[in-house]
Amino acid sequence: MTSKSKIPAKAGSYNRRDALKILGVALASGLTTLVLSKLKKSQDDVINPVSPYQRISLGQNTQVYQRDFATKQIQSNGKSPNIIFILGDNHHFQTMGCAGHPFIQTPGIDQIAKEGIIFENTFSPTPLCSPSRATFLTGAYAHKHGVKNNHTPWTGQMTTFLEYLSLNGYATAFIGKWHMPGEGLPEMPFLDLFVSYTYREGQGAYFNCPMIVDGEEVPSRKPYITEEITDYAIEFIQANLAQDKESRPPFCIYLAHRPGHPPYQAPDEISGMYDDADVTQVLPDLVDPWWYGKANRNVFQGIMMGSYYNQYRKYCETLTAMDRDIVRILEMLDQEGLRENTIVIYMGDNGMQWGTHDCHGIREPYEESIRLPFIVSAPWLIPDPGTRRGQAALNIDIAPTLLEIAGVPIPRDMDGESLVPIFMNPDVEGRDSFLLEFWRYFPENTPSYKGIRTQQYKYVEFERGRKPWLFDLQEDPGEQANLYDTTEGKKILPELKSMMESY
Amino acid sequence: MKNRGSQQRLWKPVIIVFIIALLSYMIYYGSRRIENQDIHQPLAALFGTIYFLAIFFGPLYIFTTNYVQEFSLGKRILTASAIPFLWMTKDVIVSMGSHPFLECLYWYLNPLSVWMVCLLAIEMGLGTILGRFLLKRRGQPIKVVSVGPVLSILIGAIAFGGIYAWGQGENLFSLYLDGYRLLFGSGI
Repeated sequence: MTSKSKIPAKAGSYNRRDALKILGVALASGLTTLVLSKLKKSQDDVINPVSPYQRISLGQNTQVYQRDFATKQIQSNGKSPNIIFILGDNHHFQTMGCAGHPFIQTPGIDQIAKEGIIFENTFSPTPLCSPSRATFLTGAYAHKHGVKNNHTPWTGQMTTFLEYLSLNGYATAFIGKWHMPGEGLPEMPFLDLFVSYTYREGQGAYFNCPMIVDGEEVPSRKPYITEEITDYAIEFIQANLAQDKESRPPFCIYLAHRPGHPPYQAPDEISGMYDDADVTQVLPDLVDPWWYGKANRNVFQGIMMGSYYNQYRKYCETLTAMDRDIVRILEMLDQEGLRENTIVIYMGDNGMQWGTHDCHGIREPYEESIRLPFIVSAPWLIPDPGTRRGQAALNIDIAPTLLEIAGVPIPRDMDGESLVPIFMNPDVEGRDSFLLEFWRYFPENTPSYKGIRTQQYKYVEFERGRKPWLFDLQEDPGEQANLYDTTEGKKILPELKSMMESY
Repeated sequence: MKNRGSQQRLWKPVIIVFIIALLSYMIYYGSRRIENQDIHQPLAALFGTIYFLAIFFGPLYIFTTNYVQEFSLGKRILTASAIPFLWMTKDVIVSMGSHPFLECLYWYLNPLSVWMVCLLAIEMGLGTILGRFLLKRRGQPIKVVSVGPVLSILIGAIAFGGIYAWGQGENLFSLYLDGYRLLFGSGI
C-alpha cells in the first residue's frame, strides 16, 4: 500500500509531475521564508474576516494565495492533520437524521455533525455527477476543469488537491467512485492507493462490483460496495499507523460512495427497514406511486422503476447502508486516538429532487438539485461543535480548504475559497454570489444553462426551450413565482446579468 | 369504397387504444391539480394503470383483432407497433427541448424502446395464437399453435428477461451511451 500507484506513466506525464515537484520545492522554499516572516508579525493576530488572502508572487505563473496568519493556527498541535473526505451520491441535503428527516437513520453523519458543524447553504454550481466530482478534486468551476457533462472526458488539465497534498508529504488515497469519462481510470501515480471501478460507465454496482486497485482489476472482497471500499480505507489507515510514529506522514483519504444512486439496492440486513415508513410526509403532494413516469412525461418509464414510494424508501436504505460504514471509520478513528487530529468531511456530489417542481433527479437549477449536504468535524478548528453555519459554501471550496488545513499554499487557478475562516468563526462573512452552469447531457431532458445565485436571487438563462428564470429566494424560497417578466424582475435583471458575466 | 372500409377496420383497434391511452394520460396528469389527496391519489393510481396497460398491452389487442380480420402479417405488425411508436415519438419530441434533432432521433434506440420491441415480439406471438384460437372457435380448420409464434414468444421473452438479468438494464444503457458518444461525442 505504501508503494505508489502501479499505473505506468505516459511519456508526457513524467515531465509534468517532475515540473510539479520542482514547483513544490520552489513554493516550499519561497513560502517558508515568507510564512516565517509573517509568523513573527502575526502569531497573535485575529483572522481578518473580510479579506483573509494576499496574493503572493513567486515568479512567473507560480502565484499562490497564502492566508495572512500563522499556518499553525489551523493545524492541530502544529502537526499536519489527517483528512478523511467522504462523498455520497445524489444525497438530498435534508435526508439525514441531523437535518431533521422524519425516519432515515444516519447515526454516523449525525455524529460528525454533533462533533462539528453543518453547513446549511452548500451548493454544486454544476449539478451533475462528473462535473461535480472534477470540481471537488480541482477546486474549479466546470468551465475551467473541462469536465462539463458525464460524456466529457477527464483530461487532468488541472492538478488535483490530492496531488498537491502528495507533493507536500501526505500519504494519499482515492477510494471509491471515480465516475468521470475517459479511457478507463486516469493515471495518478502520486496516489499511494487508487481503488476504483469502471464498471457500468463508472457507476459500479452495489453488489460484487469488480474493483481496480492500483491499475489491476480484482474481484470484490466484500459483497456490498460500501463495506468493500471502507475496508480499503481502514486498511490504508492501519498501514499508516504501522509506520514509525515520528516519521509517518499524515494521510488524506478521498472516499467516494455509490449509495444515493439508482438502482437502489441495500444489503439484506438493511433492505426493508423503511417498508413501513410514511413517505408522504417527505414527498410533495403531487407525487403518486406512478410519479416517476409523470415527471418524465412517461408512465412506462415510471413502471420500469416500480412504485415511486418504494424507490424513495430504497434510496434511504442505501444511504443508511453507507452511514453504517461511516460509523466504522469513526469508530476506528476513536480506537486509534486519531479523532483530535483528523478532519472528517461528509458531502454529497449533487442534491436530489424527489418530486419537487415536477422533477426527479439532479441537473435542474432548482435548490433541491444544487444544494448539498456538508458536515465537517475538526475538533481543533471548530470552537462551537454541534452548531450550524449559514454562509454559502460550494464544492469548489473543498480543495482550497483542505490545502489550507494541510498548510499547503492554495494555487491561483482554483476558483474556490478556503472555508477555514468560517470553520473557526461563525460570524465571518461568506460569499455573496456564485455561478451556475450546466451543459446539456443526453439523454436527460435539461437544456444547457448559465445563471447566478446570490443570497436573495437566482437568475438562470437556458440555451433553448425555456424562458429565463428569476426567483427571489427570500420572498419565494420554493421558487414558484418567476419574476423574469415582472417590473420587479426587470429592475434587478441588469445587475444580475452583469454579475453573471463577471464570472 | 371496399378499400376504405378495409383501412377503417385495420386502424379501428389502433384508434380505440390510442383514445384510451390519451384519455388516461390526460386524467392521470390532470389529477395532480386536485388538492384533495383522497381524490388525487386514487385517480392517479387508476388512470396511471390504464395508461400503462394501453401502451403495454394495447398492441396485443390490436394484433389479435387484426389477425382475426385476416389482415396480412405486415399490416398487423404495422398497426401493433403504432402505439409504442407514438409513445416513443412523444419522448423524442419532449427531448427536443434540450437536444438537437439528430440526437433526439437516437432516443428511439434507448433501452426502454428495446424492451418494448421485445414485448411486441411476445405479444405478436401471443396475438397470433389467440387469433387462431378465436378463428377456430368460429369453425375455421386452423392449427392454433405453430413454430413461428412460439419462437416469437420465446425470443422476445429471452431477450426481455436477459436484458433485465444483465444488470437490470443498466449494462444495456451503458452500451446505449457508448453508441451516443461514438456518434455525437459529448454533445457539446
